[in-house]
Amino acid sequence: MTTTFDTGSALAISNVSKVFNKGNENEVIALSDVNLNVHTGEFISLIGPSGCGKSTLLRVIGDLTGFDSGSVQVSGKSPEDARKERLYGIAFQQAALFDWRTVSKNIELPLELAGWDKSQREVRSAELLEMVQLSEFGNHRPWELSGGMQQRVAIARSLAVDPPLLLMDEPFGALDEMTRERMQNELLRIRLDTGKTIVFVTHSIPEAVYLSDRVVVMSPRPGRITAEINVDLGERTETTRESDHFFHCVTSVREALRLHDTSGTSTSSFRGEV
Amino acid sequence: MASTRDRISNGFVSFLWALAGIAIIGLMWELTKLIGTIIDLPFNTSNQAMPHIWTMFSAFSLPEVRGSDTTVFQAVLAASTYSLTLALGGFVIGVSVGLLLAIIMQRFLFFERGLLPFVIASQTVPLIALAPLIVGIGNQISFGPIQWSTTYSVMFIAAYLAFFPLSVGALRGLQAPSSTSLELMRSYAATNNKVLWKLRFPASIPYLVPALKVSAAAAVVGTVVAEISTGVRGGIGRLMVEYARETTSQPAKVYVAVFGAILLGLVVAAAITAVDVLLTRNLPKKGLA
Repeated sequence: MTTTFDTGSALAISNVSKVFNKGNENEVIALSDVNLNVHTGEFISLIGPSGCGKSTLLRVIGDLTGFDSGSVQVSGKSPEDARKERLYGIAFQQAALFDWRTVSKNIELPLELAGWDKSQREVRSAELLEMVQLSEFGNHRPWELSGGMQQRVAIARSLAVDPPLLLMDEPFGALDEMTRERMQNELLRIRLDTGKTIVFVTHSIPEAVYLSDRVVVMSPRPGRITAEINVDLGERTETTRESDHFFHCVTSVREALRLHDTSGTSTSSFRGEV
Repeated sequence: MASTRDRISNGFVSFLWALAGIAIIGLMWELTKLIGTIIDLPFNTSNQAMPHIWTMFSAFSLPEVRGSDTTVFQAVLAASTYSLTLALGGFVIGVSVGLLLAIIMQRFLFFERGLLPFVIASQTVPLIALAPLIVGIGNQISFGPIQWSTTYSVMFIAAYLAFFPLSVGALRGLQAPSSTSLELMRSYAATNNKVLWKLRFPASIPYLVPALKVSAAAAVVGTVVAEISTGVRGGIGRLMVEYARETTSQPAKVYVAVFGAILLGLVVAAAITAVDVLLTRNLPKKGLA
């Protein structure tokens, strides 16, 4: 395997493959020869139908699961080292806040584990609460908050140790459409403020287009990257979602997804397509 | 705060219901006796077998033994206190061991597979068979000047019954965190101990509290039964046996001892409820029953 080593890149993935239940009759090729480079400060979305490996790819980057071949470099380090050096923050579809902690203490959890002092932690969580506009809710319990507010806390928590990379696995997937759009704007504002590199998993085409600099389209059986679409919408405003250019980008992504949807209804053979 | 006031008023209502429940049991007891005088019931309802409620209460002030200064009530109270200390000892040992086992079983799948069947099997051994064995083995143990006492055997038996519900409940609780929460901890590069302390432990509280209740009850029952089968003096179990022998002359006396055992159970239940309120004060009020 050739190793791509590019210090300017936030993320370098080359020839990565991963197989579930290897050698077993239920063998599934989750990722097949995936190549992806993300440069610092870029916002990319991974989009595709269920089973295309987008969440698996995110987990590989975060060292939450392993891979069978190829190489992954997160800020020039192996995923394991990157995780241990806390070089990324992560947010999931479930906010996964701890009920027994206040909102502030939830945000401080990664800081506690990273060995920050109490006073430093409090300053940082107050700062982050202000960023996600929840300053008055620091002493509330998570279950007292709405779904959108909980997700904002989860995002604040993912930013706690100020990691250069943010991994997001359908963080707005469980929210209603109105809240979702508001959260998207908020995420873009946070991105502008912090300059983070963001890898965002979604299965909403408009969401991917609205948020990203680049949409990476994936396809299942075997899970692979089938297209990359650059989105050059410039600065997002209130009218962006209604612009022709936005619809044009949405259409491109939709077509890229449809192109590889030929096996959509067939579940007969997983290995036949290798 | 309104919620605190609600809780107190709810507590008061529950208390009234409990009193009503006790009154109904007393009423049914007397009603059964009354029916027994009219028709033939398949069991004996005479004052000898089923003393009147008021006879039971008057037995409180009987002298413990003929001519003694202490009353039956005082004797039962002293015995209950003694049994409570034994039950408490057994409970603390049982909970510690149960928790430790649960942590080991959670951490190492090997131990969950290997240990859990033995944990379950341990509860199928009848106590009657076990008690003499424990006393027999215990009596041969001595650590230097410290000699094994039969009261340790009672505590051991109480602990033996108490550890099981806690162990099983705690194991379930420690395994309760969602895979998302666990992945989150992994992303923070948290060590196993940190995961245990900051996630698994707090997440297990809703499972731990009901397990504590069952364990406490088991410790009390275990203590009373163990006192009887080991013949340890001073506790409520032994007192029940002694008073039961006097049924012919003082049929109501043994019921005072039974009240003592009930009191013991209530004190322990109240203590666990206090622990419950303390541990779950910051959790949403859904939880398990």
